[in-house]
Amino acid sequence: MNATVNATVNLKPSAPLLSLRTLRKAYGERHLFDIERLDIEAGGAYVLTGANGTGKSTLLRMLGGLERCDGCQVELEGKRMPLYPYPTLLRRAVVYVHQHPIMFSTSVGHNIAYGLLARGMNGHAARPLVEEAMEWAGVAHLRHSDPARLSGGEKQRVALARARVLQPRLLLLDEPTANLDGAAREQVIKLIPTLLEQGRSVVMACHDRDLIGLPGVRRFKLRDGRLETR
Amino acid sequence: MGLLDATAHAFALLFSGDAALWHIVWVSLKTSILGLLFATPPAVLLGYLIAMHRFPGRRVAVWLAQAALSLPTVLIGLLLYLLLSRRGPMGGLEWLFSQPGIVLGQMVIGLPVLLAFTLAAVQALDPRYAETALAHGASRWRVMTTVLHEARYGVMAAVISGFGRVISEVGCALMVGGNIEGQTRTITTAIALETSKGEFAQGIALGIVLVSIALLMNGALVLLQGEAHSAGARL
Repeated sequence: MNATVNATVNLKPSAPLLSLRTLRKAYGERHLFDIERLDIEAGGAYVLTGANGTGKSTLLRMLGGLERCDGCQVELEGKRMPLYPYPTLLRRAVVYVHQHPIMFSTSVGHNIAYGLLARGMNGHAARPLVEEAMEWAGVAHLRHSDPARLSGGEKQRVALARARVLQPRLLLLDEPTANLDGAAREQVIKLIPTLLEQGRSVVMACHDRDLIGLPGVRRFKLRDGRLETR
Repeated sequence: MGLLDATAHAFALLFSGDAALWHIVWVSLKTSILGLLFATPPAVLLGYLIAMHRFPGRRVAVWLAQAALSLPTVLIGLLLYLLLSRRGPMGGLEWLFSQPGIVLGQMVIGLPVLLAFTLAAVQALDPRYAETALAHGASRWRVMTTVLHEARYGVMAAVISGFGRVISEVGCALMVGGNIEGQTRTITTAIALETSKGEFAQGIALGIVLVSIALLMNGALVLLQGEAHSAGARL
């Protein structure tokens, strides 16, 4: 039984951030899903539920540009473009976080700085942003630590900080509390609502009742290849 | 000369600073290291590209890379001899029976080893490394350097294995280099020559050097792998 976590999503939805059309995925003869339309509003928080194998992770990976999607169309703030090959504009606006985040074998601080440095920011400019992100995630004391020594909860918080520091418009979180329990899970759940600052949108694939039940979170359910809105 | 006498003489040669012997060692090290330096960038790049991308003919490329590992060095020597000989398409370079010719041979021999080992190391790496790099806005080049950094122990093993292969081969160095004293005589070609003459002391001395190099290189690899395993054990 999950412990109840008190966290509130301050939902202020505005214009659609992303409008997606004809999201289809099939493996050979097996059709995983066929979604005509999916709108994600700026500042919106969504959970994507569904039984195992319905394609929740695949759909998130598709939105994050990690899964091929032939014929899919996306409209980002009025600009329409194909979802595959993944547009640079989206790459800058969307960050996907794995269910079990991988840590580069450097340090926690360097992991959080990774995206900033990869996008061309120099180390000096990145430092204050990384410090702020570490403070936000409560991992500042781990900045020089070997990521291989982190617990599952610490890795998840570092991964959230690594994504948040890039200030994406949309964050895609694949089962952010999977395999976490107790205090580690509660810490992650408390961070989720604060990700919605500055009109940022969050879509989470999850089974966690406390995440699904966060006030203001809207629910999508994948069933029989269709997306149901709750 | 008995084995014991020859061995004693070999150690005397080693510790007396015999100029001819150490020149042979120098030529071997120089040509092997240069060959490896030229082979490493294209081999690592190709290994990475084949491991990370799906394209028509990929399985054939993997098959060829692995098959190239078992190519006899004497056959590579023959092909290079034909290419570099005066009437060959690369005859104008005048690299036959020269150190550049040996370097080219070592490069050709080392390349498949480096490629196949790099391919295996990158293929074995968790695909989430590349995905995480990509998802955080890394360019293709940055994704590659990140992946190779994470696969560094495997890539280092590739370089060390490649070095072991090129410094210990004899067929190509003999055919392309010509075993010219003071110029293209390497450790292995010298051992072959001295043994055929019945002069075992220099052969044994060079053998000791070769084994020492092999032990040092593989010792370094064991240390690196030990570091990788202990890092893995902390997960």
